[in-house]
Amino acid sequence: MSEREGARQVRWAELKKMSWSEYRQMNLSRADIMQLDMLPGWYATRKRRRWLAGAGMFSLALQWINAAVSWAAEPDDGGNWIILTLLAVMMVIYLPAVTLMNIATRGLVELTERHLDERQVGERLRATTIAHRITTGLLAACFVTAVVAGVGGEGDYVVPERAVIMLIVALAMTHLVLPLIVSTWRLPDPLPDDEE
Amino acid sequence: MGAEEVYNRIPMLRAERGVSRKELAAALGVHYQTIGYLERGEYSPSLYLALRIAEYFEVPLEVVFALKPFPRLGSEVKR
Repeated sequence: MSEREGARQVRWAELKKMSWSEYRQMNLSRADIMQLDMLPGWYATRKRRRWLAGAGMFSLALQWINAAVSWAAEPDDGGNWIILTLLAVMMVIYLPAVTLMNIATRGLVELTERHLDERQVGERLRATTIAHRITTGLLAACFVTAVVAGVGGEGDYVVPERAVIMLIVALAMTHLVLPLIVSTWRLPDPLPDDEE
Repeated sequence: MGAEEVYNRIPMLRAERGVSRKELAAALGVHYQTIGYLERGEYSPSLYLALRIAEYFEVPLEVVFALKPFPRLGSEVKR
C-alpha cells in the first residue's frame, strides 16, 4: 500500500464517472478496465453473481461433456458435428460469463498482486485453494475412469486422439477459470457508496 | 473470519471527520470495498493496515479496534 496505490484508487473512482467515448480516447490498462462498471445489472446482487458463476460452471460442464462425446461418438455418426456444436454453444456462454465475472470481482483472479490490496489477495488465495481441491477431485475422477475403461476392455485400448485433446482442453479451462467462478460465487454485496 | 471477531469504530471516526469511504480508501491505498468490509466486521485488517488506519485518524489503535464490542456512548456515565 503506497501513495501510488492511493492515486490508483482515485483514478479508478474517476474512471467510473466517464462516458464510453471518453474511455475510447484513453489508453486504459487491463487493471483499469476491470474497475469499470460495464453492464452492472448482470452482477449487482449476490443472486445475479451466482447465476453468472453458474453459467461459467455450465460452460465448463459442456466442455467435459464434449470430451466424453469425443471419446464415445464415431466421426461417421455425426460425432464431429455434435462436438463442434457443443464447442460453439460453450464459447457463446463462456466468453461473456468470464468477462463479466472478471469485472464483478474487479480482477481479483486476473490482476497481479501489486494491483490488489491485502483483503483481495487473501480472498484470491481462498478461492484458489477451494478451486484446487475441486480440480484434484476431477483429476481423481479422470484417473478412475481411465482405469475402469482400461480394465473392462480387451487388450490395449486406444483412446481417440480428439478425445485426448478435448479432455486436455477441459482440464486446462477448469484449472484456469475455476478460481474465478469460486471467487464470484463467494463475493458478498458491497455496502452502498457514501453520499458525497 | 470465523471465531476471530474484531470490532471497530471506523464509521464513527469517518463521520466525525467528514471522510468518505473512498477518501479513506485512497489515503490508505486499499480498495474502497475493503473499507466497507472492515466496517461491517467481515474482514479483519493486518496489523500494518490497522496501524495505518489509527495513524490516519490520529488516535491510538485501541480507540479504533477492540476484541469486545465498544460500549454505547453515555453508558459509562456515573450517576
